[in-house]
Amino acid sequence: MNATTLPAAPRGPRAALAALASTRLSLAALAAIAAAVVAHAQAEGGMPVLLATVFALAGANLAAALVVQPRLRADLPLFVFHLALLAILALAAVGRLTTLTGTLELAQGEVFDGQLLAREAGPLHPEGLSRLRFVNDGFEIEYAEGWKRGRTTNRVRVFGEDGRVASRVIGDMDALVVDGFRFYTTPNKGFAPVFRWVPRGAGAMQRGAVHLPSYPAREHAQAQAWRIPGTGRDAWVMLELDRPAIDPARESRFRIPASWRLVAVIDGVRRELAPGDSVALEEGVLVLEGLTAWMGYRVHYDPTLPWILAAALLAIASLAAFCWRRFGRAAGARGG
Amino acid sequence: MESASLGVAAACYGIAGCAAIAGQVLGRRPDAAVGGLLAAGVAAHTLSLGLRWERVGHGPFISMFEVLSSNVWSLSLLFLVAFAKVRAVRPAAAVALPVVFVLLAWMLQTHPDDGHFPATYRTLWLYAHVAFGKVFLGALLVATAVAGLVLLGARRAAAQESAEMERLALRFLALAFVFESLMLVTGAIWAQDAWGRYWAWDPLETWSFVTWISVAALLHARVSFRVPPRATAAMIVSVFAVAFLTFFGMPFVSTALHKGAM
Repeated sequence: MNATTLPAAPRGPRAALAALASTRLSLAALAAIAAAVVAHAQAEGGMPVLLATVFALAGANLAAALVVQPRLRADLPLFVFHLALLAILALAAVGRLTTLTGTLELAQGEVFDGQLLAREAGPLHPEGLSRLRFVNDGFEIEYAEGWKRGRTTNRVRVFGEDGRVASRVIGDMDALVVDGFRFYTTPNKGFAPVFRWVPRGAGAMQRGAVHLPSYPAREHAQAQAWRIPGTGRDAWVMLELDRPAIDPARESRFRIPASWRLVAVIDGVRRELAPGDSVALEEGVLVLEGLTAWMGYRVHYDPTLPWILAAALLAIASLAAFCWRRFGRAAGARGG
Repeated sequence: MESASLGVAAACYGIAGCAAIAGQVLGRRPDAAVGGLLAAGVAAHTLSLGLRWERVGHGPFISMFEVLSSNVWSLSLLFLVAFAKVRAVRPAAAVALPVVFVLLAWMLQTHPDDGHFPATYRTLWLYAHVAFGKVFLGALLVATAVAGLVLLGARRAAAQESAEMERLALRFLALAFVFESLMLVTGAIWAQDAWGRYWAWDPLETWSFVTWISVAALLHARVSFRVPPRATAAMIVSVFAVAFLTFFGMPFVSTALHKGAM
């Protein structure tokens, strides 16, 4: 019997790297990504761990291929395309770790004090929001017939740390960008009765707005409960309108209604309040000053955005160059 | 005038498609007639879309009728360009135009609502995103039609001819891949400005990405391994099915996609 001696298979780290760089593994990784993104989109709350795992696998495969596949390194457009894809994956991961998304609401004239109503931040997010200050100077929203929302324009003033004040108009496609934080207006907005609370004795007078639910989305639920500051008393207020503030039958604008009443229930006593009316309580006097509007904002922070865009454009340019060479008419003539 | 020109366009598309199929079956292709009818259909359709744009004040981006109509137009136009420039694409009219028929029939079933143009659509990124998407779908349709010829004629055609047609299909698939990438990037830029996030895995984004991954996997497989022309052609047809379901099926799954809120 003749014995055939086969060349020894490479072992160790280099063999592991070659296995990781396998083009078959690339195909499997692409299939796994497709399955994972569908699962992520279908699942309640998503499946971020699964998504991160398959993208990490694809990234490892890509990185290994760039190191050990001579064909990738020999073809410059193909090399740049794969390098740019790897950069996008890495930047997206950095973005997830440093991102911040949140929501806030500001009544007209109210200054943003750095506090968010809801926030979701990556573990490496560099806190910087608390030093930003801007004021909502009022907004207009156009409506087409049938309460179809049109253009939103919101005037704001930004207070710089050097004391400078800058006026801006933001809206649907124009974010307020300050120190990398991007503030967007949202469809979430409504009315807010403004109260003055004058405590008896030595306490300082306070002024504040009670944000009613979004209008017109929750037209029939314009009520809100709140606690009078410095007391244990709960108050409940409801806005009553004779007709919708935005006429659904024709083109209109979001505006403070000319005619309105505020129903207030404090300590179980129901009162109808008009601007200037006051309610005397044991701890002080609550005065209704008027009605204003509040705007809901979304804030987004992701320092990788311009770099991801640059990497994506580089990927597309190099992909186009590769495809032109590999699949273009000249390649066809060469039989490529 | 708007409806009349749309009717003329539909008739031209219909006759062109029937002529292409009949020519393919009978073995005598009336290429000049098919090309002429297709060109006349695109011209009439362009007039109809232009008149509608002028009347309603916005492009065909909102209602299902507008989306289908603009896609029938763009697919026909892009196929016409390929038909005129690449002689080998011409027999594929018998495969491509029935796909256009499906969209045309669907469009005629929908109500031609004017729709409301949301504030988030008032951006140049919308036009870039839609234009790149249309070139992507058009190139993918040409690739699919040529791949269809490979599949339909594989038993009769010589291996050399199949390989050449497969290479032609891949050329259009590569073009589709580049434009799909551009569509995704411009869509992400638009989404960042309109909704404060560049990607959120909503149903259309998810399936657009799955389509991109499918094309990437197909090209990767074709470049890295020996894949027979028939297998490549079958994969191209499968990718087109995914893309078709993504761009025309997803609006039924999520009606709130890319719309403004109250």
